[in-house]
Amino acid sequence: MIISKLEFLDRTQLDLETLEVWIEEEWLVPSGTATDQAFSEADLARAKLIQDLMQDLGVNEEGVGVILNLLDQVHGLRRALADILQAARKRSTRPDASSRANLDE
Amino acid sequence: MKDPYETLGVARTASAEDIRKAYRRLAKKLHPDLNPGNNKLEEQFKEVASANALLSDPDKRQRFDSGEIDASGAERPRQRFYKDFAAEASAGHPYENRSGFADFADSDDFFAELLRRQAEQARRAPGQDLHYRLAIEFLDAVNGVAKRLTLPDGGTLDVTIPPGIEEGQILRLRGKGAPSAGEGEPGDALVEISVSPHRFFSRHADDIHLDLPITLTEAVLGSRVRVPTPAGAVTLTIPKGSNTGAVLRLKGKGVPRPGSHGDELVRLKVILPSQPDAELEAFLATWKPETNYDPRRDMQP
Repeated sequence: MIISKLEFLDRTQLDLETLEVWIEEEWLVPSGTATDQAFSEADLARAKLIQDLMQDLGVNEEGVGVILNLLDQVHGLRRALADILQAARKRSTRPDASSRANLDE
Repeated sequence: MKDPYETLGVARTASAEDIRKAYRRLAKKLHPDLNPGNNKLEEQFKEVASANALLSDPDKRQRFDSGEIDASGAERPRQRFYKDFAAEASAGHPYENRSGFADFADSDDFFAELLRRQAEQARRAPGQDLHYRLAIEFLDAVNGVAKRLTLPDGGTLDVTIPPGIEEGQILRLRGKGAPSAGEGEPGDALVEISVSPHRFFSRHADDIHLDLPITLTEAVLGSRVRVPTPAGAVTLTIPKGSNTGAVLRLKGKGVPRPGSHGDELVRLKVILPSQPDAELEAFLATWKPETNYDPRRDMQP
Protein backbone atom coordinates (compact mmCIF):
# COMPACT_ATOMS: atom_id res chain seq x y z
CA MET A 1 0.00 0.00 0.00
CA ILE A 2 1.28 3.43 -0.91
CA ILE A 3 0.89 6.32 1.52
CA SER A 4 1.13 9.91 0.36
CA LYS A 5 3.37 12.40 2.13
CA LEU A 6 0.37 14.22 3.56
CA GLU A 7 -1.22 11.07 4.91
CA PHE A 8 2.15 9.99 6.28
CA LEU A 9 2.51 13.25 8.19
CA ASP A 10 -0.98 12.83 9.54
CA ARG A 11 -0.52 9.25 10.65
CA THR A 12 2.85 9.84 12.29
CA GLN A 13 1.91 13.24 13.74
CA LEU A 14 5.22 14.51 12.42
CA ASP A 15 5.77 18.03 11.18
CA LEU A 16 7.03 18.51 7.66
CA GLU A 17 10.37 19.95 8.74
CA THR A 18 11.19 16.97 10.95
CA LEU A 19 10.21 14.52 8.24
CA GLU A 20 12.46 16.29 5.77
CA VAL A 21 15.38 16.10 8.19
CA TRP A 22 14.77 12.37 8.65
CA ILE A 23 14.74 11.84 4.90
CA GLU A 24 17.86 13.98 4.57
CA GLU A 25 19.55 11.77 7.18
CA GLU A 26 18.34 8.72 5.23
CA TRP A 27 16.55 7.40 8.27
CA LEU A 28 13.60 7.12 5.93
CA VAL A 29 13.96 6.45 2.23
CA PRO A 30 10.58 7.00 0.53
CA SER A 31 10.05 5.78 -3.00
CA GLY A 32 8.63 7.87 -5.82
CA THR A 33 10.11 11.15 -6.98
CA ALA A 34 11.52 14.06 -5.02
CA THR A 35 8.37 16.09 -5.54
CA ASP A 36 5.95 13.21 -5.17
CA GLN A 37 7.23 10.99 -2.39
CA ALA A 38 5.46 7.74 -1.63
CA PHE A 39 5.70 5.92 1.69
CA SER A 40 4.98 2.34 2.65
CA GLU A 41 3.56 0.72 5.78
CA ALA A 42 7.15 -0.28 6.57
CA ASP A 43 8.19 3.39 6.44
CA LEU A 44 5.34 4.17 8.81
CA ALA A 45 6.45 1.50 11.28
CA ARG A 46 10.02 2.73 10.97
CA ALA A 47 8.96 6.31 11.72
CA LYS A 48 7.11 5.01 14.78
CA LEU A 49 10.31 3.23 15.85
CA ILE A 50 12.29 6.46 15.51
CA GLN A 51 9.66 8.22 17.61
CA ASP A 52 9.87 5.48 20.25
CA LEU A 53 13.64 5.81 20.30
CA MET A 54 13.61 9.58 20.70
CA GLN A 55 10.60 10.05 22.94
CA ASP A 56 10.37 6.92 25.09
CA LEU A 57 13.95 5.71 25.16
CA GLY A 58 15.68 9.09 25.37
CA VAL A 59 17.96 8.45 22.39
CA ASN A 60 19.36 11.63 20.87
CA GLU A 61 19.62 12.32 17.14
CA GLU A 62 23.14 11.02 16.78
CA GLY A 63 22.13 7.84 18.55
CA VAL A 64 19.14 7.23 16.28
CA GLY A 65 21.38 7.11 13.21
CA VAL A 66 23.73 4.64 14.89
CA ILE A 67 20.89 2.43 16.07
CA LEU A 68 19.14 2.38 12.69
CA ASN A 69 22.36 1.48 10.94
CA LEU A 70 23.00 -1.40 13.33
CA LEU A 71 19.37 -2.53 13.15
CA ASP A 72 19.51 -2.58 9.35
CA GLN A 73 22.57 -4.78 9.59
CA VAL A 74 20.83 -7.02 12.10
CA HIS A 75 17.93 -7.49 9.71
CA GLY A 76 20.32 -8.16 6.86
CA LEU A 77 22.05 -10.80 8.98
CA ARG A 78 18.77 -12.32 10.11
CA ARG A 79 17.69 -12.71 6.52
CA ALA A 80 21.02 -14.17 5.46
CA LEU A 81 20.85 -16.60 8.35
CA ALA A 82 17.27 -17.55 7.50
CA ASP A 83 18.30 -18.19 3.88
CA ILE A 84 21.23 -20.29 4.97
CA LEU A 85 19.13 -22.33 7.38
CA GLN A 86 16.54 -22.88 4.68
CA ALA A 87 19.16 -24.05 2.21
CA ALA A 88 20.76 -26.29 4.83
CA ARG A 89 17.37 -27.83 5.66
CA LYS A 90 16.73 -28.50 1.98
CA ARG A 91 20.01 -30.34 1.76
CA SER A 92 19.38 -32.43 4.82
CA THR A 93 15.91 -33.52 3.65
CA ARG A 94 17.44 -34.84 0.41
CA PRO A 95 20.59 -36.50 1.73
CA ASP A 96 21.07 -38.69 -1.33
CA ALA A 97 20.56 -36.01 -3.98
CA SER A 98 24.26 -35.44 -4.51
CA SER A 99 25.17 -39.13 -4.62
CA ARG A 100 22.46 -39.78 -7.21
CA ALA A 101 23.79 -36.95 -9.33
CA ASN A 102 27.18 -38.61 -9.24
CA LEU A 103 25.69 -41.86 -10.50
CA ASP A 104 24.05 -40.14 -13.46
CA GLU A 105 27.29 -38.74 -14.71
CA MET B 1 -4.07 -8.46 33.58
CA LYS B 2 -1.23 -7.72 35.93
CA ASP B 3 -1.10 -4.74 38.21
CA PRO B 4 0.47 -1.94 36.15
CA TYR B 5 2.53 -0.70 39.11
CA GLU B 6 3.97 -4.18 39.47
CA THR B 7 4.61 -4.41 35.74
CA LEU B 8 6.64 -1.21 35.77
CA GLY B 9 8.18 -2.08 39.14
CA VAL B 10 7.22 1.19 40.83
CA ALA B 11 5.45 1.98 44.06
CA ARG B 12 1.83 3.13 44.02
CA THR B 13 3.09 6.47 45.27
CA ALA B 14 5.62 6.84 42.45
CA SER B 15 5.85 10.27 40.83
CA ALA B 16 5.24 10.80 37.12
CA GLU B 17 8.98 11.19 36.69
CA ASP B 18 9.60 7.83 38.43
CA ILE B 19 7.12 6.17 36.11
CA ARG B 20 8.71 7.75 33.06
CA LYS B 21 12.14 6.56 34.16
CA ALA B 22 10.93 3.06 34.95
CA TYR B 23 9.24 2.79 31.58
CA ARG B 24 12.29 4.10 29.76
CA ARG B 25 14.52 1.57 31.54
CA LEU B 26 12.24 -1.33 30.65
CA ALA B 27 11.57 -0.17 27.08
CA LYS B 28 15.29 0.02 26.36
CA LYS B 29 15.56 -3.61 27.32
CA LEU B 30 12.29 -4.88 25.87
CA HIS B 31 11.44 -2.81 22.77
CA PRO B 32 10.58 -5.40 20.09
CA ASP B 33 12.49 -3.54 17.41
CA LEU B 34 15.62 -3.78 19.48
CA ASN B 35 14.99 -7.51 20.00
CA PRO B 36 13.79 -8.79 16.64
CA GLY B 37 12.86 -12.45 16.83
CA ASN B 38 12.26 -12.61 20.57
CA ASN B 39 8.51 -12.98 20.91
CA LYS B 40 8.61 -13.47 24.66
CA LEU B 41 10.07 -10.01 25.13
CA GLU B 42 7.49 -8.59 22.75
CA GLU B 43 4.67 -9.85 24.98
CA GLN B 44 6.43 -8.37 27.98
CA PHE B 45 6.92 -5.08 26.20
CA LYS B 46 3.23 -4.89 25.34
CA GLU B 47 2.37 -5.28 29.02
CA VAL B 48 4.88 -2.63 29.98
CA ALA B 49 3.66 -0.27 27.25
CA SER B 50 0.04 -0.61 28.28
CA ALA B 51 0.96 -0.18 31.96
CA ASN B 52 2.81 2.98 30.97
CA ALA B 53 -0.08 4.21 28.86
CA LEU B 54 -2.30 3.86 31.89
CA LEU B 55 -0.01 5.33 34.52
CA SER B 56 1.55 8.12 32.46
CA ASP B 57 -1.88 9.65 31.87
CA PRO B 58 -2.76 11.42 35.17
CA ASP B 59 -6.47 11.19 34.49
CA LYS B 60 -6.44 7.48 33.68
CA ARG B 61 -4.09 6.79 36.58
CA GLN B 62 -6.41 8.52 39.00
CA ARG B 63 -9.40 6.58 37.68
CA PHE B 64 -7.46 3.33 37.95
CA ASP B 65 -6.39 4.13 41.53
CA SER B 66 -9.96 4.81 42.53
CA GLY B 67 -11.03 1.52 40.92
CA GLU B 68 -13.08 3.12 38.15
CA ILE B 69 -11.26 1.30 35.37
CA ASP B 70 -9.19 -1.85 35.42
CA ALA B 71 -5.71 -2.30 34.05
CA SER B 72 -7.01 -3.27 30.64
CA GLY B 73 -8.53 0.20 30.30
CA ALA B 74 -5.32 1.47 28.78
CA GLU B 75 -4.91 -1.32 26.31
CA ARG B 76 -4.85 -0.17 22.77
CA PRO B 77 -3.96 -2.08 19.68
CA ARG B 78 -0.39 -1.32 18.88
CA GLN B 79 0.45 -1.01 15.21
CA ARG B 80 2.91 -3.51 13.83
CA PHE B 81 6.53 -3.03 14.75
CA TYR B 82 9.16 -2.23 12.18
CA LYS B 83 10.81 -5.63 12.65
CA ASP B 84 7.64 -7.30 11.33
CA PHE B 85 8.09 -5.49 8.03
CA ALA B 86 11.81 -6.05 7.90
CA ALA B 87 11.20 -9.77 8.34
CA GLU B 88 8.63 -10.04 5.57
CA ALA B 89 10.02 -12.09 2.76
CA SER B 90 7.96 -10.52 0.01
CA ALA B 91 8.35 -6.84 0.86
CA GLY B 92 11.11 -4.71 -0.55
CA HIS B 93 13.90 -3.88 1.85
CA PRO B 94 15.37 -0.53 0.99
CA TYR B 95 16.93 -0.37 4.43
CA GLU B 96 18.40 -3.80 4.80
CA ASN B 97 22.15 -3.66 4.93
CA ARG B 98 24.43 -6.60 4.31
CA SER B 99 27.72 -4.82 4.09
CA GLY B 100 28.59 -5.88 7.64
CA PHE B 101 29.37 -9.48 6.75
CA ALA B 102 30.79 -9.30 3.27
CA ASP B 103 33.96 -10.82 4.71
CA PHE B 104 32.08 -14.10 5.23
CA ALA B 105 32.07 -14.57 1.50
CA ASP B 106 35.85 -14.60 1.16
CA SER B 107 36.22 -18.31 1.68
CA ASP B 108 35.03 -20.94 -0.73
CA ASP B 109 32.53 -23.01 1.17
CA PHE B 110 28.79 -23.58 1.16
CA PHE B 111 27.96 -20.44 3.15
CA ALA B 112 30.18 -18.26 1.03
CA GLU B 113 28.38 -19.59 -2.03
CA LEU B 114 25.00 -18.74 -0.52
CA LEU B 115 26.05 -15.23 0.40
CA ARG B 116 27.47 -14.72 -3.06
CA ARG B 117 24.22 -15.87 -4.61
CA GLN B 118 22.30 -13.44 -2.44
CA ALA B 119 24.60 -10.60 -3.36
CA GLU B 120 24.16 -11.53 -7.00
CA GLN B 121 20.39 -11.47 -6.60
CA ALA B 122 20.53 -8.06 -4.95
CA ARG B 123 22.74 -6.80 -7.76
CA ARG B 124 20.30 -8.01 -10.40
CA ALA B 125 17.27 -6.60 -8.64
CA PRO B 126 15.42 -4.22 -10.93
CA GLY B 127 15.24 -0.51 -10.17
CA GLN B 128 12.24 1.05 -8.54
CA ASP B 129 9.09 1.97 -10.38
CA LEU B 130 8.52 5.71 -10.47
CA HIS B 131 5.04 7.18 -10.25
CA TYR B 132 3.91 10.24 -12.17
CA ARG B 133 0.63 11.99 -12.73
CA LEU B 134 -0.35 13.56 -16.02
CA ALA B 135 -3.40 15.75 -16.56
CA ILE B 136 -4.73 15.82 -20.11
CA GLU B 137 -7.57 17.53 -21.94
CA PHE B 138 -10.85 15.72 -22.48
CA LEU B 139 -10.46 15.61 -26.25
CA ASP B 140 -6.87 14.36 -26.02
CA ALA B 141 -8.14 11.50 -23.88
CA VAL B 142 -10.73 10.58 -26.49
CA ASN B 143 -8.56 11.01 -29.57
CA GLY B 144 -5.17 10.07 -28.16
CA VAL B 145 -2.16 12.37 -28.00
CA ALA B 146 1.60 12.35 -27.60
CA LYS B 147 2.81 14.23 -24.52
CA ARG B 148 6.21 15.07 -23.18
CA LEU B 149 6.53 14.98 -19.41
CA THR B 150 9.21 17.10 -17.81
CA LEU B 151 10.64 15.25 -14.84
CA PRO B 152 11.71 16.87 -11.58
CA ASP B 153 15.33 15.99 -12.34
CA GLY B 154 15.14 17.95 -15.60
CA GLY B 155 14.81 14.95 -17.90
CA THR B 156 11.87 14.35 -20.18
CA LEU B 157 9.64 11.40 -20.77
CA ASP B 158 7.64 10.89 -23.97
CA VAL B 159 4.24 9.42 -23.32
CA THR B 160 2.00 8.23 -26.14
CA ILE B 161 -1.55 8.26 -24.91
CA PRO B 162 -3.76 5.84 -26.79
CA PRO B 163 -7.22 7.02 -27.91
CA GLY B 164 -9.98 6.34 -25.42
CA ILE B 165 -7.93 6.46 -22.24
CA GLU B 166 -9.96 6.89 -19.07
CA GLU B 167 -9.60 8.89 -15.89
CA GLY B 168 -7.32 7.10 -13.40
CA GLN B 169 -5.87 4.70 -15.95
CA ILE B 170 -2.17 3.99 -15.48
CA LEU B 171 0.27 3.73 -18.35
CA ARG B 172 3.33 1.60 -17.73
CA LEU B 173 6.44 2.72 -19.60
CA ARG B 174 8.77 -0.20 -19.40
CA GLY B 175 12.33 0.61 -18.39
CA LYS B 176 11.65 4.31 -17.79
CA GLY B 177 11.78 4.06 -14.00
CA ALA B 178 14.72 4.38 -11.64
CA PRO B 179 17.91 2.57 -12.66
CA SER B 180 18.82 -0.57 -10.75
CA ALA B 181 21.16 -0.12 -7.81
CA GLY B 182 23.23 -2.93 -9.27
CA GLU B 183 23.17 -4.31 -12.78
CA GLY B 184 19.49 -5.19 -13.01
CA GLU B 185 16.90 -3.80 -15.37
CA PRO B 186 15.66 -0.29 -14.65
CA GLY B 187 12.18 -0.05 -13.13
CA ASP B 188 9.12 1.17 -14.96
CA ALA B 189 7.53 4.59 -15.05
CA LEU B 190 3.89 4.47 -14.05
CA VAL B 191 1.91 7.44 -15.34
CA GLU B 192 -1.52 7.97 -13.87
CA ILE B 193 -3.79 9.87 -16.23
CA SER B 194 -6.31 12.41 -15.07
CA VAL B 195 -8.72 13.88 -17.57
CA SER B 196 -10.09 17.39 -17.20
CA PRO B 197 -13.80 17.80 -17.93
CA HIS B 198 -15.01 19.30 -21.19
CA ARG B 199 -17.23 22.36 -21.59
CA PHE B 200 -20.06 20.46 -23.29
CA PHE B 201 -19.05 16.85 -23.86
CA SER B 202 -19.33 14.27 -21.14
CA ARG B 203 -18.28 10.67 -21.30
CA HIS B 204 -20.09 7.51 -20.25
CA ALA B 205 -17.95 4.46 -20.97
CA ASP B 206 -17.31 4.72 -24.70
CA ASP B 207 -20.27 6.96 -25.47
CA ILE B 208 -20.07 10.73 -25.61
CA HIS B 209 -23.07 12.65 -24.32
CA LEU B 210 -23.90 16.14 -25.51
CA ASP B 211 -26.80 18.49 -24.77
CA LEU B 212 -27.66 20.30 -27.98
CA PRO B 213 -29.68 23.52 -27.73
CA ILE B 214 -32.06 24.00 -30.68
CA THR B 215 -34.51 26.73 -31.55
CA LEU B 216 -38.26 26.33 -31.40
CA THR B 217 -38.40 26.50 -35.18
CA GLU B 218 -35.83 23.72 -35.60
CA ALA B 219 -37.76 21.57 -33.14
CA VAL B 220 -41.13 22.04 -34.77
CA LEU B 221 -40.17 22.05 -38.43
CA GLY B 222 -37.10 19.83 -38.31
CA SER B 223 -33.70 20.91 -39.58
CA ARG B 224 -30.17 19.93 -40.44
CA VAL B 225 -27.65 21.39 -37.98
CA ARG B 226 -23.91 21.14 -37.43
CA VAL B 227 -23.06 19.26 -34.22
CA PRO B 228 -19.62 19.08 -32.61
CA THR B 229 -18.15 15.62 -32.06
CA PRO B 230 -14.72 14.82 -30.60
CA ALA B 231 -13.50 14.21 -34.16
CA GLY B 232 -14.95 17.43 -35.60
CA ALA B 233 -18.38 18.81 -36.52
CA VAL B 234 -20.89 16.68 -38.44
CA THR B 235 -24.33 17.40 -39.87
CA LEU B 236 -27.25 16.03 -37.88
CA THR B 237 -30.82 15.81 -39.12
CA ILE B 238 -33.32 16.89 -36.50
CA PRO B 239 -36.65 15.25 -37.35
CA LYS B 240 -39.81 17.32 -37.51
CA GLY B 241 -41.51 17.70 -34.12
CA SER B 242 -38.46 16.85 -31.98
CA ASN B 243 -38.92 17.54 -28.29
CA THR B 244 -36.64 18.57 -25.46
CA GLY B 245 -35.09 15.39 -24.07
CA ALA B 246 -35.20 13.47 -27.35
CA VAL B 247 -31.90 11.63 -27.86
CA LEU B 248 -30.36 11.22 -31.31
CA ARG B 249 -27.57 8.75 -31.81
CA LEU B 250 -24.56 9.54 -34.00
CA LYS B 251 -23.20 6.07 -34.67
CA GLY B 252 -19.46 5.69 -34.31
CA LYS B 253 -18.84 9.28 -33.26
CA GLY B 254 -17.98 8.34 -29.68
CA VAL B 255 -14.70 7.10 -28.25
CA PRO B 256 -12.65 5.24 -30.86
CA ARG B 257 -11.61 1.71 -29.95
CA PRO B 258 -9.86 -0.89 -32.00
CA GLY B 259 -12.71 -2.91 -33.48
CA SER B 260 -15.58 -0.96 -32.01
CA HIS B 261 -16.55 2.66 -31.66
CA GLY B 262 -18.65 4.36 -29.06
CA ASP B 263 -21.53 6.58 -30.19
CA GLU B 264 -22.30 10.21 -29.57
CA LEU B 265 -25.69 10.67 -27.97
CA VAL B 266 -27.17 14.08 -28.65
CA ARG B 267 -29.90 15.19 -26.30
CA LEU B 268 -32.04 17.98 -27.67
CA LYS B 269 -32.96 20.99 -25.62
CA VAL B 270 -35.48 23.45 -27.06
CA ILE B 271 -34.52 27.01 -26.20
CA LEU B 272 -36.99 29.88 -26.56
CA PRO B 273 -35.75 33.27 -27.77
CA SER B 274 -34.01 35.03 -24.91
CA GLN B 275 -35.99 38.23 -25.53
CA PRO B 276 -39.81 38.20 -25.49
CA ASP B 277 -41.02 37.96 -29.07
CA ALA B 278 -44.21 39.88 -29.85
CA GLU B 279 -45.06 37.91 -32.97
CA LEU B 280 -44.63 34.56 -31.24
CA GLU B 281 -46.78 35.73 -28.35
CA ALA B 282 -49.49 36.97 -30.73
CA PHE B 283 -49.45 33.67 -32.61
CA LEU B 284 -49.66 31.53 -29.48
CA ALA B 285 -52.50 33.65 -28.07
CA THR B 286 -54.68 32.66 -31.02
CA TRP B 287 -53.24 29.16 -31.52
CA LYS B 288 -55.65 26.24 -30.93
CA PRO B 289 -53.86 22.85 -30.89
CA GLU B 290 -55.55 20.29 -33.19
CA THR B 291 -55.28 17.40 -30.78
CA ASN B 292 -55.62 17.21 -27.03
CA TYR B 293 -52.38 18.82 -25.90
CA ASP B 294 -51.79 18.34 -22.18
CA PRO B 295 -48.20 17.40 -21.30
CA ARG B 296 -49.18 16.97 -17.62
CA ARG B 297 -51.90 14.43 -18.34
CA ASP B 298 -50.05 11.66 -16.44
CA MET B 299 -49.51 13.83 -13.40
CA GLN B 300 -53.18 14.29 -12.54
CA PRO B 301 -53.79 13.01 -9.03
